[in-house]
Amino acid sequence: MKEATAKRIADDLLRPLLNTSWRFFLLVAILGAIVLTGASAWMYQVWNGFGESGKRWPVFWGFYITNFVFWIGISHAGTLISAILRLVNAGWRRPVTRCAEVITAFALMIGAMFPIIHLGRPWLFFWLMPYPNQRRIWPNFRSPLVWDFFAISTYLTGSVLFLVLPMIPDFALVRDKTTGVRRKFYGTLALGWQGTTKQWHRLESAMQIMAIAIIPVAVSVHTIVSFDFSMAPVPGWHSTIFGPYFVAGAIFSGIAALIIAMAGLRKFLHLEDYLHPVHFANLGKLLLMMSLLWTYFVFAERLTTWYGNGTSEMNVFWVTQTGSYSPLYWTMVICNFVIPFPILSLRRTRTVTGCVIASCSVVVGMWLERFLIVVPTLGHKYLPYSWGPYQPSKVEIMIMISTFAAMGLLYTLFAKFVPIISIWELKVGEHPFPIEAAAQVKEHAILRTNP
Amino acid sequence: MDRRDFIRLTAVTGTSVTLASCGNPEHQLIRFVPDDDLVPGVAEFKPSVCPLCRAGCGLSVRVMEADVETVRNGQSGVVKMGVAKKLEGDAKHPISRGGLCPRGQAAIQITYHPDRLTHPMKRTGARGTGEYKEVTWDEAIAELAGQLIALADARDQKSLALLARPRRSRRLELFAEFLARFGAPAPVGFELFAEDVLRRANARSFGHEQLPTFDLARAKYVIAFGADFLGTWNSPVSQNAGYGEMRQGRQVHGGSRAKFVHVEPRMSLTAASADEFVPAKPGTEGVLALGLGHIIIRNKLRSADAAGRAGAAIDGWSAGLADYTPENVEKITGVAALRIERLAHELVEFRPSVAIIGGAPLAHTNGLFNALAVNALNALLGSVGEPGGMFFTPSLQPPASGPGFSAASHPPSQAAPASAGQTQPLVASLQSSKVLLIDDANPVFASPKAWKVREALDRIPFIVSFGSFLDDTSIHADLILPDHSFLETWVDSMPESGALEAVTTVAGPAMKPLHNTRSTPDVVIELAGKLKSPVALPWKSYEEMLKAPATSHPPSQAAPASAGQASHQPPVTSHQYQEPHFDGDAAAFPFHFLPYASQAFLDGSAAHLPWLQEMPDPLTSAMWSSWIEINPRTAERLGLALGDLVDVTSSQGTLRAPIVISPGIAPDVVAMPVGQGHETFTRYASKRGVNPIEILSPLTEAETGALAWAATRVKITRAGDGDGRLIMFAGEMRENPFEGRRQEK
Amino acid sequence: MAHRWGMTVDLDRCTGCGACVTACHAENNIAVVGDAQAAKSRAMHWIRVERYWEGDFPDVRLKFRPVMCQQCDAAPCEPVCPTYASHHTEEGLNAQVYNRCIGTRYCANACPYNVRFFDFYNPQWPKPLHLQLNPDVSVREVGVMEKCTFCVQRISAAEIDAKAEKRELKDGEITPACVQSCSAKALVFGDLNDPESEVSRLSRSTRGAKLLEELGTLPKVTYLARQTQV
Repeated sequence: MKEATAKRIADDLLRPLLNTSWRFFLLVAILGAIVLTGASAWMYQVWNGFGESGKRWPVFWGFYITNFVFWIGISHAGTLISAILRLVNAGWRRPVTRCAEVITAFALMIGAMFPIIHLGRPWLFFWLMPYPNQRRIWPNFRSPLVWDFFAISTYLTGSVLFLVLPMIPDFALVRDKTTGVRRKFYGTLALGWQGTTKQWHRLESAMQIMAIAIIPVAVSVHTIVSFDFSMAPVPGWHSTIFGPYFVAGAIFSGIAALIIAMAGLRKFLHLEDYLHPVHFANLGKLLLMMSLLWTYFVFAERLTTWYGNGTSEMNVFWVTQTGSYSPLYWTMVICNFVIPFPILSLRRTRTVTGCVIASCSVVVGMWLERFLIVVPTLGHKYLPYSWGPYQPSKVEIMIMISTFAAMGLLYTLFAKFVPIISIWELKVGEHPFPIEAAAQVKEHAILRTNP
Repeated sequence: MDRRDFIRLTAVTGTSVTLASCGNPEHQLIRFVPDDDLVPGVAEFKPSVCPLCRAGCGLSVRVMEADVETVRNGQSGVVKMGVAKKLEGDAKHPISRGGLCPRGQAAIQITYHPDRLTHPMKRTGARGTGEYKEVTWDEAIAELAGQLIALADARDQKSLALLARPRRSRRLELFAEFLARFGAPAPVGFELFAEDVLRRANARSFGHEQLPTFDLARAKYVIAFGADFLGTWNSPVSQNAGYGEMRQGRQVHGGSRAKFVHVEPRMSLTAASADEFVPAKPGTEGVLALGLGHIIIRNKLRSADAAGRAGAAIDGWSAGLADYTPENVEKITGVAALRIERLAHELVEFRPSVAIIGGAPLAHTNGLFNALAVNALNALLGSVGEPGGMFFTPSLQPPASGPGFSAASHPPSQAAPASAGQTQPLVASLQSSKVLLIDDANPVFASPKAWKVREALDRIPFIVSFGSFLDDTSIHADLILPDHSFLETWVDSMPESGALEAVTTVAGPAMKPLHNTRSTPDVVIELAGKLKSPVALPWKSYEEMLKAPATSHPPSQAAPASAGQASHQPPVTSHQYQEPHFDGDAAAFPFHFLPYASQAFLDGSAAHLPWLQEMPDPLTSAMWSSWIEINPRTAERLGLALGDLVDVTSSQGTLRAPIVISPGIAPDVVAMPVGQGHETFTRYASKRGVNPIEILSPLTEAETGALAWAATRVKITRAGDGDGRLIMFAGEMRENPFEGRRQEK
Repeated sequence: MAHRWGMTVDLDRCTGCGACVTACHAENNIAVVGDAQAAKSRAMHWIRVERYWEGDFPDVRLKFRPVMCQQCDAAPCEPVCPTYASHHTEEGLNAQVYNRCIGTRYCANACPYNVRFFDFYNPQWPKPLHLQLNPDVSVREVGVMEKCTFCVQRISAAEIDAKAEKRELKDGEITPACVQSCSAKALVFGDLNDPESEVSRLSRSTRGAKLLEELGTLPKVTYLARQTQV
């Protein structure tokens, strides 16, 4: 390990924390303004009544639940990928893990807001929490919405832990590099990290446990989200494929979001030396695989519906396939398969730019997929007399836009205060040989003594 | 912390907020002594009569105690009083029999309407602007009395006119008595769907100038010509009850289910319930009836003289209706000859059978002929006065004492104004009058533009309305003396049809008045008292009149005996078929224009009730809208989709309305519900939709002079894409919208 | 024995007149949402008369089918409610406890019949229309689901009366507003646990079928098929 390399890593990755340009403030101001607009749109809805949304009889779920599923899906980028890559000890993961895990935490927080935003009486949201009311009645544990509560809170707790644990040595590093308020701030966050063997040991075991534990949690979360739909005896929803289909879609959209985030970091924080084209190419391959898997699931789901030819199922089928929702449906297919497949299949186009284009397309496509799961079904249940269309209101669109801005804002702020690439992991990764405890001790001793 | 603790915490903060908001002077209302001895929370049921149509359904009003903000002697306060909560059909009433139609259910909103007129008003602005100032009842009645005294002084008593809705009730009798004593002409009745043609035909055929009653419960075969008897026509509630029985009531006892055939160019609410739907060309219904008669006579299924008097009214009856061979009838009506033969045989095979005519077939230039033809068919079938056939409800004198309904044998006190719906009496009386009293009639809305009713009103020096709402007509009034609602006053009804026995319903107020209104009959009595004798009426109040036997008034018409053998019959003149005439030639105006009574609003007089505005139309599911129904093939040909706007043009003018595609309407007919398009009629109905009556041609039925409201032809031109003005409740109109696709596959 | 309330809808008697729709509004304090909201399909009709066209002119038929809450024994709306606002009563009704509802609208999505409605705004009754409100029925506030209750207030009132008079309920003693208003007597209400009641007798009719029976929701409303005389 060359000390110069270590120093450069630290310098490059700590630069955003230490230097702040006007661009940062401008970006925060713009994103903050959009988020505030979204927040006021929500308050407007709460104040005037839920009618300010575009919901109607019988499409009682619309943009909010679409966004809920979408953001929970995005959240599968980070933790799951990073945990798997950690477990298989893929070396190229090192610069990727943290920016992935951050997506998870923030996307979950944003996603978890939507069930509250979408409530008719959001001021009573705490009635969903599992504790008894004054009549000693607990929430209904048979309701998938209560399962959601458990799933999301577990996942959020787990992924925040998973994110924060490996940040501790980096906090310690920042603490040691700064003075004044910052030193105090990062000192608190570092939780007294001294880099002792015992601490490294504990960190490694904790990471190992978390990585193993978080995978089933992540899989279960989106399965449970899919249960919100598949548990209802409603055509287009009531399908056993929904669990794996949702999880696959979630990872699919998550990887796409990660690629976009990485490209952004690479460009704006000048991390070209750390986020190499090979990272994008590798994630691109993953994205390609998920695209094929997603297409397979869609095909399997459509084929069985069509072959089964049940009246009510076919109503939803035709509405999406050739009816009023078909423009959205075919856009989804183009975005999720037709565009990314050739780009990601060819090595020549599997560049950073290529991957970003494919990813943007996938994010749009996956959002449409969520929308097409929620809305056409509700508008075309069994009795055609009660069918109806859905159009989002301004409030819903505003809130949706503001969540994208919120993601950007949180990400920007996070990158401002925390090294977005795990410095110590990167440094460890510079070793050509497998990590051993002894070497680690030595290594970290060097790191600690670095000024 | 569980929810209980949380609530405790919020309770503390909540209390302080509540304390702070006390002491608002607006909320310090004076509490008056309770009006009624009601037990809080316990309902009491009081009788009343539904005022919305001439069926006169008996009501049972659920009355409960409530706090009512009111004004007493100029002081506002709160009083506990019984208020009506719901209207139900009176289970013991021979017409409603416990049921009620959607309009009857909503009638309670008349009483509580937020735009009801709450006090007498005198016009301050120009006519039609709706600018009025509040006056006291004494001032208002004095002003009206002054106008009448001026007329009397000028020996011009005949220039007083009273326009009313034709209803068989003693209210009209009181008005007639007042007008007679004053020296003015009899009250003029006005209603769009007045059905006078049928009354006239019944008088000719059977000697009864009234609408018939049908014994559907016992009929085995019903053929209806255009009559929307399950929706809006005649006595819908009692007819619905009979219909239910004819369908399933007998099967319980091993009897058979009746067959019901409906003849109409558009599938109406009633036609939807038919076993067989027979679209015939508009205005040819009478020909079809005679075609059926022809086969029955030709095949000697019944003898021609069975029709008796009703048959004699038809030209060529005794000769076996030689002109009405199935082939000829097919040419005229468009109904296949074989089908006519089959229907004729069925009519005789499944007796008792009965034919019903009403609505559009009578609103052609040959309406009377159509009615006479169906009457003759009924007579031929032997269905007049027989179980399972048609009857004429005997009339009787109002009960001598107290509310309720009872059967007696006296003839009616016939104050019902004649010839309603005709142009001549309405326009003539408007043109000749100097003081016009309007009671619940809205001719500005319900008459074709060509009648120039509005212009005629403009020329009348003094107009008084007794209406509870500012509508298209009463907004031209100089003085408004708002009536009580029907729940707040004495009401009575002597319906001409709907029950096999005679019915008179009298009911007292179900609740105390909410506003500073007065019962119109009482106002007229008080007014009469202020005029020079002998105008003063013999009653102190309407209540007294209703409780008194109606001896002082000789019946204006001879007592009708039992059906089929009327004691006093005008000479029979036979009636020849005439082709219906339509306004506008078929080349320029290719579509028959069929306005129809809306299930929600009837003739528009119930359009101000929010429940009815929001009730989905049974056939189209439209709410809060006007629309025009077009056959799918016609729509395709004209490039029209659901909700697209079209201009409907007749020789009289143009309307713009969204279209509804209806598979149940003939390709050369377009239909439009009557009811919307009020210039002004409360917040719920003002300027909503369009009024099809406006563009009707003023053609009249040739002999009776009744408006031929189904005789207009129109053309349709696309005016633009839908703009959201058509509001529908339903999504799809077919149960399996993708069925075709499934079969293709 | 506990009651099990059920209804039969005789499609052969039903004329589609819509009296039940207005009667339900009058009885159950259902708000009029107005044209702007109705245009957004937010009109609330606890009972609606569905109509379906069949065929084309002139061989055209029209079917009416009143649809209200089917009061399913295995109701999909009940398990999905996180707060037990939608729950099953001992008499087999799918009750909706407005106070407990937080407006997830999940019940409405799970309901195959689309008979659940949502209060998108606080209901308005311009004075003095509020005087008509039935004091036996809660007025719902913004953000809660509402639906047909089989006029549970009328059921309770009759049960209380019968208990006070120490007698059994008579068949036909209870009529929900829609049943009461139906002049063609297409709707019949009663106790399905009483084999002699009219509703039980009609439910056993060979004309009887449940709406979307194949979903296994075990509805307590039986539709008696319309017949055609040829």
